[in-house]
Amino acid sequence: MDTRRYRRRQRVWDLLESRYVVHVVLFFAVLFIVGPLLWMLLTSLRTNAAVYDLTYLPSNPTLQAYHVALIERGFWRAVVNSVVISSVSTVVVMAIGTPAGYVFSRYRFRFDNLVFTFVLLTRLFPPIGLVTPYFRIMSVFGLVNTRVGIIIANVYLWLPLVIYIMRNFFITVPNALDEAARVDGCTKVQAFRHVVFPVVKPGFAAGTILTFLYSWREFLFAFTVSNDLSSMTIPVATYLFVGDTSVQWASMAAAAVVATIPSALVVLFFQRYIVTGLTGGGKG
Amino acid sequence: MSDDAGFYYDGSEVHSGLTGRLSRAVNDHIRLFLLGPALLSLLVVFVYPVGVLLWSSLRETRGLTNEFAPTANFARMFSDPSFWNAVERTLVYSFGSLTVTMVAGLGFALALNKVVNRRVRDAYTTLILLSWAVPLSIVGLTWQWMFNGQLGVVNRILVDLGLLSEPVSWLGNSLTAMAVVILADAWSRIPFATIVLLAGLQSIPQEMYDAVRVDGATTFQRFRHLVLPYLRPSLFVAGLITWMFAFRAFAIPFSTTGGGPAGATETLAIYIHRFGVQLFDFGFASAVSLFLVVVTLVVAAFYVTRVLEGIREIE
Repeated sequence: MDTRRYRRRQRVWDLLESRYVVHVVLFFAVLFIVGPLLWMLLTSLRTNAAVYDLTYLPSNPTLQAYHVALIERGFWRAVVNSVVISSVSTVVVMAIGTPAGYVFSRYRFRFDNLVFTFVLLTRLFPPIGLVTPYFRIMSVFGLVNTRVGIIIANVYLWLPLVIYIMRNFFITVPNALDEAARVDGCTKVQAFRHVVFPVVKPGFAAGTILTFLYSWREFLFAFTVSNDLSSMTIPVATYLFVGDTSVQWASMAAAAVVATIPSALVVLFFQRYIVTGLTGGGKG
Repeated sequence: MSDDAGFYYDGSEVHSGLTGRLSRAVNDHIRLFLLGPALLSLLVVFVYPVGVLLWSSLRETRGLTNEFAPTANFARMFSDPSFWNAVERTLVYSFGSLTVTMVAGLGFALALNKVVNRRVRDAYTTLILLSWAVPLSIVGLTWQWMFNGQLGVVNRILVDLGLLSEPVSWLGNSLTAMAVVILADAWSRIPFATIVLLAGLQSIPQEMYDAVRVDGATTFQRFRHLVLPYLRPSLFVAGLITWMFAFRAFAIPFSTTGGGPAGATETLAIYIHRFGVQLFDFGFASAVSLFLVVVTLVVAAFYVTRVLEGIREIE
């Protein structure tokens, strides 16, 4: 009796695990993730008046909403700001964070665990807690409505993360490699730059891509530091549509699509790097 | 020294002249040289603002007053029902998002793990990753637009399917608004959970599956006694990080509802932002910030202990 019930139950599980069910689940997963993005894309291809038509597909697809958002409103400047801010932030963070990650993976020094714990805590510290201080500090130093202000905030937000990720990548490289290079006459810096670093280049790429994406999607600090076209980012500019008395939904969607396309392209081309980066470089 | 000089210098060449002395100094103080810039940056961009935060929390800044009053803000915070309401909403929000994210993430990861063809699996992974990469304010705006009462596509679909007789004002009702905000939050976090859990699933050796099959375990037993134990560290990391980030969430609820209707989706982060940035009440905002920081760090301590334990294992 018991085995029969067992088998019947097992048959239900086998069905659940069958290829068809797996693909049905994944179909709905993709629908759930991509559906909202598709809807934004479809909305952006209407005119701002055609949004009220209540049809699913735009009857006369047009790029007029993009024209309103980017040219008439001048939000193309926000796109430029986003590119500049994300790129500079990424270069600065990677340049400072990579050597630091290397040290944490290799060297013992006084209070090393304490210093590393400090880095971990800065990473886990809730950024919202520093918004009020940043808001005040930025105005004291005249950094409100400047790109530099947002870049500084990005360094705070992503440097601890990069130190942590890079440390995890460096740990996977055996110490013997450094030692061999040292025996061959390398200075410690040369051993790092010419021997160990090339090995973790994929990890470095992952860190770079993650930092760029995180800087690109950031909203809280960009919004707090800047609401002026000379420095605000495209996610902030897109948000400003909602403040209008009569929201131009199609143009809002157009700006949203413009803000999302670079992220989406990075994901499409570098999916594997992002996955290794998100899973922490294999360790931790 | 050019970039591609490689490491073929002999010692004498490196250690002569000014550059030589410099490179020797660097060599002798390698930790300071490589770690210094990072620690110095963190001092400026993190420690200094934290100092400002601590200092402001001790000052009363309501209205035109600005004076030293070490307990005023904390006393006001703990006796203010609006603060406790924000705490309650933040708990509902973060645990709601955690539940949706982990259930969906586990489901997606289990399904992805069943896809044998690596290319197909990568294609699915890429598509699922998309929502993670969307700028946070765009996430909120997207869900606000989809659930718009008058023009939203969700109402349109539900009415066309006959599930609703007339459009619902999703974001005008406090209960449904919270549900929408949680869904938007989870939408943005599910990819991360999926990736972490999938990595956990793939770390289970094939031999273990084979061994369990030989033992004649049912699928459920296999899940319960093999998959789940292996997955526990990944579940821990994914769950903890998801909760922690949802607990401090600002951009998504702020851009979906702005905290409305009537404050029904105002999380602690939006509450802090309202006082600190919009009302210039730095002192009170700092006190509330400290509350959020302490809660987060207590939870984070579990995570850090885990990571440090990991270090000990490596050594």
